[in-house]
Amino acid sequence: MYVSPVREPLIKGKKDYNKVTEDITAPMAGKPSKYWYMGIGLSLLALLAGGIGTVITIWYGIGTWGLNKTIGWGWGITNLVWWIGIGHAGTFISAILLLFRQKWRTSINRSAEAMTLMAVTCAGFFPLIHMGRLLLGFFIIPYPNTRDLWVNFNSPLLWDVFAISTYGIVSLLFWYTGLIPDLATMRDRATHKIKKAIYNLLSFGWTGSARHWSRHETLSLIMAGLAAPLVLSVHTIVSFDFATSVIPGWHTTIFPPYFVSGAIFSGFAMVLTLMIVARKALNLEDYITVNHVESMNKIIITTGSIVGIAYLTELFVAWYSGVEYEQYAFMNRALGPYAWAYWIMMTCNVITPQLFWFKKIRRSLIATFIISIFVNIGMWFERFVIIITSLHRDFLPSSWSMYAPSLVEVALFIGTLGLFFTLFLLFIRAFPIIAIAEVKSVLKSSGENKKHSNHE
Amino acid sequence: MNNQQYITAYYLDDDDLMKSVKHIREKGLSINDVLTPFPVHGLDKLLGHRRSYLPQVGFIGGAIGAICGFYFQYWIFTEAYPLNFGGKPFASIPSFIPVTFECTVLFAAFSMFFAFLIRSGLGLGAQAKIHDEKVTDDRFMVIIPIDESNRQDSINHIEAVLNETGAKEVKVNG
Amino acid sequence: MEHKQFQFNNKVIIPSVLLLILGILAVIGALVTDIPRERIIANLHLNNVYFLAFALCGLFFVAVHSIAESGWHTSIQRIPEAMGMFVPFAGIIMLVLFIFGKHDLFHWTHTDHLDEVLLHKQPYLNSTFFYIRFVVYFLGWGLLGYALRKNSLLLGETGDIKYFNKQRTFSAIFVVFFAITSSTASWDWLMSIDAHWFSTLYGWYIFSSLLVSGMAVITLFVLLLRRMGYLPHVNIEHLNDLGRYMFAFSIFWMYLWFSQYMLYWYGNIPEETVYYYERLNNFENYFFINIILCFAAPFLIIMLRQMKRIPFVLGITSVIIIVGHWVDFYQLIMPGSIGDKAGFGMLEIGLTLGYFGLFALFVFRALSKAPLVPKNHPFYKESLEYHTNY
Repeated sequence: MYVSPVREPLIKGKKDYNKVTEDITAPMAGKPSKYWYMGIGLSLLALLAGGIGTVITIWYGIGTWGLNKTIGWGWGITNLVWWIGIGHAGTFISAILLLFRQKWRTSINRSAEAMTLMAVTCAGFFPLIHMGRLLLGFFIIPYPNTRDLWVNFNSPLLWDVFAISTYGIVSLLFWYTGLIPDLATMRDRATHKIKKAIYNLLSFGWTGSARHWSRHETLSLIMAGLAAPLVLSVHTIVSFDFATSVIPGWHTTIFPPYFVSGAIFSGFAMVLTLMIVARKALNLEDYITVNHVESMNKIIITTGSIVGIAYLTELFVAWYSGVEYEQYAFMNRALGPYAWAYWIMMTCNVITPQLFWFKKIRRSLIATFIISIFVNIGMWFERFVIIITSLHRDFLPSSWSMYAPSLVEVALFIGTLGLFFTLFLLFIRAFPIIAIAEVKSVLKSSGENKKHSNHE
Repeated sequence: MNNQQYITAYYLDDDDLMKSVKHIREKGLSINDVLTPFPVHGLDKLLGHRRSYLPQVGFIGGAIGAICGFYFQYWIFTEAYPLNFGGKPFASIPSFIPVTFECTVLFAAFSMFFAFLIRSGLGLGAQAKIHDEKVTDDRFMVIIPIDESNRQDSINHIEAVLNETGAKEVKVNG
Repeated sequence: MEHKQFQFNNKVIIPSVLLLILGILAVIGALVTDIPRERIIANLHLNNVYFLAFALCGLFFVAVHSIAESGWHTSIQRIPEAMGMFVPFAGIIMLVLFIFGKHDLFHWTHTDHLDEVLLHKQPYLNSTFFYIRFVVYFLGWGLLGYALRKNSLLLGETGDIKYFNKQRTFSAIFVVFFAITSSTASWDWLMSIDAHWFSTLYGWYIFSSLLVSGMAVITLFVLLLRRMGYLPHVNIEHLNDLGRYMFAFSIFWMYLWFSQYMLYWYGNIPEETVYYYERLNNFENYFFINIILCFAAPFLIIMLRQMKRIPFVLGITSVIIIVGHWVDFYQLIMPGSIGDKAGFGMLEIGLTLGYFGLFALFVFRALSKAPLVPKNHPFYKESLEYHTNY
């Protein structure tokens, strides 16, 4: 297919197909570096902290958290929403960008999708632990039981169960579909007997037959078509958890699209944070180029601005509605005891991403890395502000209260960070983090040594 | 399949492959399969493969998911255990929609994924017949069946055609 | 490939003018019969807003595609650009209507008897500020639209990278400006009709409606021009893409519709549900027809790839979507402004067709003023050569 010379190449350097395979599989060959060991050591330590927090929560109960009768949702739900949001970038990249034919997605979709799976795992942990008795978590699934009871399908919390589990499963299928051909490549390259056997098993007997490829492409495209509304639905349903209530600050109709936009915003930030490090550490700078970073930054500024407009819309309509409770909720956010959190949120989410209007900053790796961390923090605070400030001053002033997390809650959060990074570090050792076959399929049209082939 | 024998040969470039496939088809040879490291666009058209029915499978799966998901909730709230929530009707359709949607997507994705595996004979434990380990790297391989009734002529003819196209490592395979 | 210059001749003028005359006759007919004056004004307002939405969608389409550096649209981008040229005229007729008819449309303009809630809203909902905002919107849209169009023509002729970059800058400014004004304008002209009611999602909901109906109009014009023998390069792949847009945005519209409805239904607060109560009890036909035409029909018709590749089916779907969103705007405007005086008859049909004639005249004239394809656009060749695999 013809590609205009105006476009920057997506793959740098003089590459042929074999070189692509070599480059992308290189990080998995040989022994891991000492940085990898340091990374996984730290992650496991964090995971251990989370494990201790989990044991304490289950042993003594939710009373060990900083929650009280006014503020029933603290860090637990904040973290749930934050993690789920981070997961959204993966599906957005592989589904929506695929439908919009953005070729730059091929270098980052694999790892972003993997992050989706890891983030969903971390997210799913919080509602389960928040229920206090982890082992009874299966109560949320509708199954015939002796009490003839069913779960409440009118509750948005139950919709969440369905949304998050569907999201996890479909993302897994989607991710694995893309992975099969690359696992076959790994199988054919593996020299160690056990390794070969494992990759053989995982690659499902893939041969690269033209028939299979044709079906595989159809499957990927339709899955993308399904995943696109799915990714919208997940954060929409998460937002319903809040918006279906009649609590001022929560009950607002803009929540669904605004949450989705915020989720993609934070997801891209996390992808950038990790990929800027990974491309360097794994020598993949030719595949994940500054051009890719710039494209992602453009998405960050778009979604960040949408989030900003949503904040302003909420403020305006709170005034416009004339509902005094609504007005108070927003006054309290901006000027009340949690104003510091509100202004961190505003600064990190609305102001810092605006720096990306400058091309220089958009293309600077260091600036991008710093801003992406700001966005991660800002989006965490957004959920904190929404949850805590709307709850802590109830309709009844006698129940007004403040909230601070206990050490156990902090440990749980650190534990999920540990889980996320452990999984990510294992992932980069076990699977090719760039979709080899997909990169090869755009190599000719978008590689640096473009041969202008004449497809007639 | 059993003892049908093939001639395999490979190319190092997808454009060469496309040209050769065209050439081989023009010479009246049938191509059993083409193995490529990545999807080559337009290849299935050249080989005369029809479009896959996976979208239709997905649609049917999704429709079943939607109906089951919706009816399940409807049945629970009107027959199995009617409960009053906030004075809303028992069959409160708007609040059934999210779960119905999720079921639709889940069923559609599942049915397509497994239809794909079954139709392609792939799955856990499926053994690939590996002609050349570089096929998943940078080789584009064509597999041409030998006409058993006229074995030697057939081999000669196929080899001649393949050599015309500049194929590498033309060899007879079991 | 040979590209004909679009001819603004009798072949396109006569049908458009005939439609326009039909519209004028519909108004005259309504004036001489006993149709209430408010109904005429509300209908004029409806069509003003609706056809302005098409024009804005045209500009938005061009702007967003240049920012995203998409290639495929370049060979049809003259059509959305031409649609954008309707914006200034829409502003004039809208202004005239507001000057003469705002009391029939917006009850917050009756400043002598406002209740407590509307008094509270007066800093925003007052005529002076309303007109100031009006001028700002149209200045912004008009000037940026003009800049986009002019620059795009230069880019299409010269292929100079300077204009390419400039186009991106203008587009970015337009998108930012539009992101804010599309919300505020829809509050001004539509949400303030039900002056007591409010919804944070409203602006985005209107935006989605604008997007999908505008896309349907673009598709319709592409099909029409193709039939008339222009745009020979537009192949089934371009149509497939337009079809996919209509399909996707129809789902998006339904998603926003549902989000707003579901949250108010679930919350069940009287001052919020009153909006839907009115529509479900006095306008229930429109309410359901709206959903069928805007979501169910396009969803089922063009879901399969094969259907998107039949021009006739695509044309029918565009018409369904355009009618559907007209109904959408109808049920946004009528219940709050004229309530039980609303109706549906020759006036509604005739006037809408008349606006179509008017709009088509503007689009055709703009199309005839420039080459139909930007033949030196850096991405033009991509647009000719692309094929979709799905």
